[in-house]
Amino acid sequence: MRKILLGTTAVVGAALLAPAVAEAQEAPTVRIGGFFRAYYGNTQQSGRNSTTPSGLANNTSPATGNLQQSIVGGVPTTETNVGGNPGHVGRLSKNDFSTDAEVHVFVNGKTANGLSYGAVIEIAFNQQEGRNIVQQRASTGKTTASIDEMYAFVASPMWGQIRFGDEDGPVGGLMNSGVITNFGTGGIYGDRESFVSRQANVRTTTSPGSLGDNTKIIYLSPQFFGFDFGGSFAFNYNEGEDTGCSTNQSSGWCDSSYAFTGAANFGVAAAGPNMSVRRNEYQGALRWRGSLAGVGLSVTGGYVGSGAAKELSPLNVQRAVFQPLGVWQVGAQASAYGLTVGAQYEHGASNFFWGNLLKGDRPMDQFFAGASYTVGPFTIGGNYLIQTVEGATRTNFGYNAAGVLQATPNPAGAALMRRLGYGIGANYRLAPGLDIVAEYSSYTVAERGRDLDPSNPGVQDRNTAKVFILGTRLAF
Amino acid sequence: MKPALLAFVAALSLLAACGGDNQRLVGNDEYGDWRQGRARNRPQGATAGIVVFGVDKDREAREAAANGGGSGLSVNAYLWRATLDTLSFMPLASADPFGGTIITDWYSPPSANGERFRAQAYVLGRQLRSDGVRVQVFRQTLDHGQWVDSPVSGSTNSDLEDKVLARARELRSQSASR
Repeated sequence: MRKILLGTTAVVGAALLAPAVAEAQEAPTVRIGGFFRAYYGNTQQSGRNSTTPSGLANNTSPATGNLQQSIVGGVPTTETNVGGNPGHVGRLSKNDFSTDAEVHVFVNGKTANGLSYGAVIEIAFNQQEGRNIVQQRASTGKTTASIDEMYAFVASPMWGQIRFGDEDGPVGGLMNSGVITNFGTGGIYGDRESFVSRQANVRTTTSPGSLGDNTKIIYLSPQFFGFDFGGSFAFNYNEGEDTGCSTNQSSGWCDSSYAFTGAANFGVAAAGPNMSVRRNEYQGALRWRGSLAGVGLSVTGGYVGSGAAKELSPLNVQRAVFQPLGVWQVGAQASAYGLTVGAQYEHGASNFFWGNLLKGDRPMDQFFAGASYTVGPFTIGGNYLIQTVEGATRTNFGYNAAGVLQATPNPAGAALMRRLGYGIGANYRLAPGLDIVAEYSSYTVAERGRDLDPSNPGVQDRNTAKVFILGTRLAF
Repeated sequence: MKPALLAFVAALSLLAACGGDNQRLVGNDEYGDWRQGRARNRPQGATAGIVVFGVDKDREAREAAANGGGSGLSVNAYLWRATLDTLSFMPLASADPFGGTIITDWYSPPSANGERFRAQAYVLGRQLRSDGVRVQVFRQTLDHGQWVDSPVSGSTNSDLEDKVLARARELRSQSASR
């Protein structure tokens, strides 16, 4: 009896003293969110043509260069070898509609000791850029469902957060500062790619988000004195279940291959599937946020590095043809009274799309600046970027008749490629989550002396894609 | 490069440990989301989307606010608030302001090893009356590694009810003096 009394007195005593920290356990909730958007787009683009059918990207043709127009007798056809009749091409339409949607599932819960946990699964419906016909009556459509990001997280006020899964890294989107894209569809980093064809290379931009959401483990620290930091590690560039090694022939599709034939063509990831030579990727970022005299400030510095898979010759000769990826990034932004301005600078060993550089190639430099202004339901803004990067690579990698891997200097290489883009846009908020957006953007790729559009006569060493977008976007 | 980066991160982790009051958890909505470029301005993180399973606490809070704050309660606000305050030292398992029930999770006071308690409170009506709240405490003790139900001293429930009533009176006098 005495024990009971003591114990129950302890309860009442605890009620009197009322400890300051008593975290309430929360049963998990499951939420559905996402977005839908529909745009009209008008596109003016260099080399926006129909030509004779292209060969599909595979292990032995560069997936990210200009796709060869066709192969005649082993020779890529250009204007000079299409039967002596240059310029036999048909234009593509400038007008198009584009729709896209994602459905996001959020699970959130909290344990009695204050640990939050959950998972995010984002279902996208843009699996492929075009319908993939496998057989006459077997195909997968453009709108096939796929997973954009999926990860689980555990977070504590004491030690921060761990995310594990397919998710952007601290440098690749989570903690960047200065990348102003909160207007229109995002300006030069917006939805313009939905309207630009792959021809003439005027589509792909080096945005932090395109660093990839390959499967990784991410640590994000708590904020202390305005500072927080994050780090991540990924073994390779692939995402999702399974190894990707679907046959007994190891290839670049194989997550864990450290050497494969044709690797030299995949410094830049192949479009769609995550095929790239990037291996053992690590990211680290430090961010400070605070306010001075009513102006909100954010500054981030970060670094991303990785190794690369090797080229493997048919004679089983392995050769390192890539430099390690290594890009420094620093960005800052300030916002007050609805105005936000920011800038970001990146420098390091990378090609034009977060890919490993071939040996001997020059590093990438990129400067980005942007500003936006929000007043009531209106937001307007603009952003600009300039990038200098290696053009046609300085070295060609191939095999001699005996199957031995050989490196030969590229006579047409060693030129500097410049990539310039800007976007201006606005949105009007009709209702919470529902926007009308309008945007104009232009992106130019220029490389002296190199024909970037082989389907037209002459040398086109400067290609541009200009896109005007008008549409609506609903977030829910 | 790698060792320097690791050392840097390690140093920052140590620094993080002495943050104290200046330390807080960074919310999920404070990280960039590159797909969010298309779903911009949607609430991120724990409040994103529409609840399809579980209790939407944000919606409850919103609706309570829309009803003019406390008047959204179907039980006496002082008793409700006082009960919450009094039982706040235990982890809350559920609280239903419409039915007037508050149920806590098991709680083991630091001073009582091998014992744990759980409380259920009912706020019975809209009037601030001395019999407007009922508290029931459950007790378990650890017996050979098993929690077994044990009796609670008869005065515990009424002691806690007294605490609630005293707190309610305090809250009432505070709001009356304004």
